[in-house]
Amino acid sequence: MKRLTYLACALLVATVVAAMAGWSMATGNLLVPVIAIPLGAIVILACRRNVREVIGDERLNKVRSQAALRTLEVAIIVGAIATVVLYSFMTSGSLSPKVTGSVYTNSDGTSTMVINLYRPGAPQTAENLIRSTTIRDINSMNELEAMDYCQFRREAFLDNERKGVAGLTVGGLVISLLVTFGAFYLYYSRKY
Amino acid sequence: MKNRIKVFRAGRDMTQEQLAELVGVTRNTIISIEKDKYCPSLKLGYRIAAVFGVTIDDIFTYEPDKDGPGTDDDV
Repeated sequence: MKRLTYLACALLVATVVAAMAGWSMATGNLLVPVIAIPLGAIVILACRRNVREVIGDERLNKVRSQAALRTLEVAIIVGAIATVVLYSFMTSGSLSPKVTGSVYTNSDGTSTMVINLYRPGAPQTAENLIRSTTIRDINSMNELEAMDYCQFRREAFLDNERKGVAGLTVGGLVISLLVTFGAFYLYYSRKY
Repeated sequence: MKNRIKVFRAGRDMTQEQLAELVGVTRNTIISIEKDKYCPSLKLGYRIAAVFGVTIDDIFTYEPDKDGPGTDDDV
């Protein structure tokens, strides 16, 4: 078997296995991937054994290891920067939306509160207003108004919290990459 | 590291593909070695020498690195 035939075969098998796994997940038949994935791996390995051309040598291994190392270095640097930037959305006051509240006393003696949400770092004008909510009588807030107020607060910071969670996820990935690299580094430095 | 693979190959009327097959590497690796872009391992160096029936010293000549030992030139 030629190298290109092997690559085409491997691609075909991987596509079929992925399609079968996707279909089985959608239909709830979890037995299919358990059989299909090892079977696909066996077929690919069998094809690989029949390749007569050289598909990997020391130069390719060196190129791949250098490329993997550089990728890891870049991923760690970019990941660390992304973690700090995204996480700062959760913790930094200047990046959070600005919430302002005003209390007005009505003619009947009740107090009305108007809460406005403005874009972060922008002047508090009508153009920069994201959302506004009004509680007619803050001394006798009903359940619906309380729920509306809670939702208002939650949605106001939702975008920042999402970015923060994404930052924490990226940070976790960077740490797991570093730990994996460290483990392999220790293993290979002991081996060679 | 300088080498005379091209000279030995031409002397034996051997293609890069044939040499690559005999030593178990890809043709691109032979091209890189001939251009002094890639320094082969000692094992591969001996295999190449064995194919031509000469010693490793006849093919490869060590030249000190421009930037000194331990630099990227060694890779």
